[in-house]
Amino acid sequence: MTRKNVIAFILILIIFGFAMWAVLPLKSAEAEEDQVEKLGKTGLRFGLDLTGGVHLVYQADFPDDASAGDKGDAMDRALITIENRINKYGVTEPIIQQLGEDRILVQLPGFTDIDAAKSLVEQTGFLEFREVELNEAGQPVYLGDYLAGEPNQFFDRGETDDRIFVKDYLFNDDEEYGVFVAFLTKTEAGIEFVDVEGNPVNKEALQEYAGSLSWIPTRGDNGTKLTGELLDDAYPTLDQSSIASKPVVSIEWNHEGSTIFDEIAGRLHNPDCDSVPYSPTYAIGIFLDDTLLSAPQVCSTAFGGSGQISGTFTVVEAEGLANLLKSGALPMPLKKPPLYQEKVSATLGANFIEMSWMAGLIGVILVMLFVIAYYRLSGFLASLALVFYGTLVLAIFKLWPVTLSLAGLGGFVLSIGMAVDANVLIFERMKEELRMGRTLGAAIEAGFNRAWSAIRDSNVTTIIVCIILYWLGSSIVASAPVMGFALTLLIGVVVSMFTAIVVTRTLLRLFVGSALAKKTKLFSVDWGKKK
Amino acid sequence: MTFDIIGKRFWFFLISGVVILIGVISLVTFGLPSGIEFSSGSMLTVKFEEPVEYADFQQEISNLGYTDAIIQRTGTGDFLIRTHELSDADKTQIENALTTRFGELQEAQFNSVSPQIAAETAHNAAIAVAVAAVGILLYVTWAFRRMPKPLHYGACAIVALVHDALIAMGVFSILGAILQWEINLMFITGLLAVIGYSVNNTVVIFDRIRENLTKGISTDFEAVVNSSLVETLSRSLNTSLTTLIVVLALFLFVGASIQNFAVVLIIGIVAGTFSSVFIAPSLLLVWDKGEWGRFIPGHKPLKVKT
Repeated sequence: MTRKNVIAFILILIIFGFAMWAVLPLKSAEAEEDQVEKLGKTGLRFGLDLTGGVHLVYQADFPDDASAGDKGDAMDRALITIENRINKYGVTEPIIQQLGEDRILVQLPGFTDIDAAKSLVEQTGFLEFREVELNEAGQPVYLGDYLAGEPNQFFDRGETDDRIFVKDYLFNDDEEYGVFVAFLTKTEAGIEFVDVEGNPVNKEALQEYAGSLSWIPTRGDNGTKLTGELLDDAYPTLDQSSIASKPVVSIEWNHEGSTIFDEIAGRLHNPDCDSVPYSPTYAIGIFLDDTLLSAPQVCSTAFGGSGQISGTFTVVEAEGLANLLKSGALPMPLKKPPLYQEKVSATLGANFIEMSWMAGLIGVILVMLFVIAYYRLSGFLASLALVFYGTLVLAIFKLWPVTLSLAGLGGFVLSIGMAVDANVLIFERMKEELRMGRTLGAAIEAGFNRAWSAIRDSNVTTIIVCIILYWLGSSIVASAPVMGFALTLLIGVVVSMFTAIVVTRTLLRLFVGSALAKKTKLFSVDWGKKK
Repeated sequence: MTFDIIGKRFWFFLISGVVILIGVISLVTFGLPSGIEFSSGSMLTVKFEEPVEYADFQQEISNLGYTDAIIQRTGTGDFLIRTHELSDADKTQIENALTTRFGELQEAQFNSVSPQIAAETAHNAAIAVAVAAVGILLYVTWAFRRMPKPLHYGACAIVALVHDALIAMGVFSILGAILQWEINLMFITGLLAVIGYSVNNTVVIFDRIRENLTKGISTDFEAVVNSSLVETLSRSLNTSLTTLIVVLALFLFVGASIQNFAVVLIIGIVAGTFSSVFIAPSLLLVWDKGEWGRFIPGHKPLKVKT
């Protein structure tokens, strides 16, 4: 009996030592710099609500007839694309996940510019090259031509894809130039103007843009469209050719793209750029997500697979565009605004961690004082068990690792109060047994045995609630607080049962043989006297 | 020494009844205002470098057309605006207008929930609460399956739990009417924690009744229930006290952002302890004795000890 107990005690010490090893040192060297308390060498993992950051949930916008398989493939590609874009921004440990069938979760800890984050994710990043539609006479077609005669078919009948109209040089300031106006699309009845979402557009509203060119897809000799999918690389550079060097994006085509681009250049190029003036017929339009970035004229027939995208970029924008092109286009657009968006500034979070820490510490000290005052020696042993409890739970948080949200910290602090419960149950039971005149040793054993069913049944109900909360958390979008709470409380309940049954019991048994055990007063029998 | 708690059961029913009634009246009158997590919308917290008057701020927001917005001042230059779902353009417009009028500002927090997500969250939260109640009913019934009427134990535990949930919701309804508090996911999380906690307490007392019945300490069920209650009384109070200590620490130190959570826990722990000690065991007895007639006015009371 005693020997078994000594072995149990040694095991407890080993576990405690291991837990201490996991959580020490309490403050790491960097802690002072970033103001966030850390535990152990790598620190606890804190949720977005504590570290600050951006949390977005998007709904993918699939056509109605998309099959489940297509959706699945597209979602997989979209996740990779978004991850590529975000990785270039050096966000530490971003989370990009699929939620349900057609939703995407993006969490960026420590990244608090929500608008930048949104444009990074939302941009479809679809790059395509277009040329100007020509009529039978070889003259450029304008939006006005389609409005005036109200023709029932395209001027260039060979090309049946959508025409794009954008605001032209009449709106030539940085903000407006190249902005999408309308599509002209082929329908069963003829042709129709539609907006981005495919809704019909009133012709009256388009009169203002009559001078806009009609842009059609540009194709290689085999009919392949020239799009961003044929790119090999893209990087920001400075264009030195003009007087003031300006930021541009250099692109490298892959083999197929290189061939097609030269074929197109051979067809469109201006034979003598120095003397023949710029004409839309020589231009190649570079479109990103249906917006015209620039429409340079083609001056050469052989580009050798490289090219340049110029526009009204700043250096940062050129970098962003290069990254966007390199990471590729999203296979489907995302609905805007996001289903859920949240941004927390980092300073708020750091405060919460400090304050929760404080609340936990003060809570523990008060609880210890209370149980020592009420249960004397047993209370003191329970306090030791509580220290063991706290250390072990923190070690589990760290090694699991559990991502601690503010609610998770709340759950931990709450579990400290509840952890004493099992001890209280046992001590009350012991007191009753002592009153009945049992020896201390017998009272301890009876106390534990009798209290067990109550400890078990009462904790099972809490565990049921934790499991349901965890399910709730996993089923909804704003999940972090609920799941964090459920997990920390669950860990707390399980560990508290262990500490009460194993640790407190072993400590009490160690005292049975000692001289202290004779003084039953130490177990505060007379506090609840006069049965 | 014996406390006769069970004998005074109808007084305790009365106290609970009055508190719940007040809560229900408030719920019916004011409702339970729900935050954007359940009702959709946007919440924007801005921090100005200079102090800004509440009235000026409110006027500027309503000038922009957000007459439905709820505005809270959270610091000398800190304001929280809660309104319908904002698009990116709306948000930029608000921030630009505020900067023009009150000077530089920082966007400290922004949260926006679409109607679709809000509906899902509310729906799932309701399911979670219902499933938790059923799960507990089943478990308690199972745990007491060897007792004569196991379902009674489960049902009484559920009544105690509904009692606590009603009081918590009633108090939040009143807080909503007075202080514009809104319930959010943290409230539901706290409520579920309270449900677990309250049943935890009830089960400990029921466990003692089970043990005393098995031991056969008395043939009178009322005496058994009462002595079980008294025997576990100091445990019930001590456990509630230790939990209350830490939750109060949480409320006082962490404050604002988990205010909902801490307050629902405080109310829940107090109400839960009361219902575990004074309501659930008494109800068990009332059911066992078939004393329901007492609750019907004008009905001739059965023999009742006071």
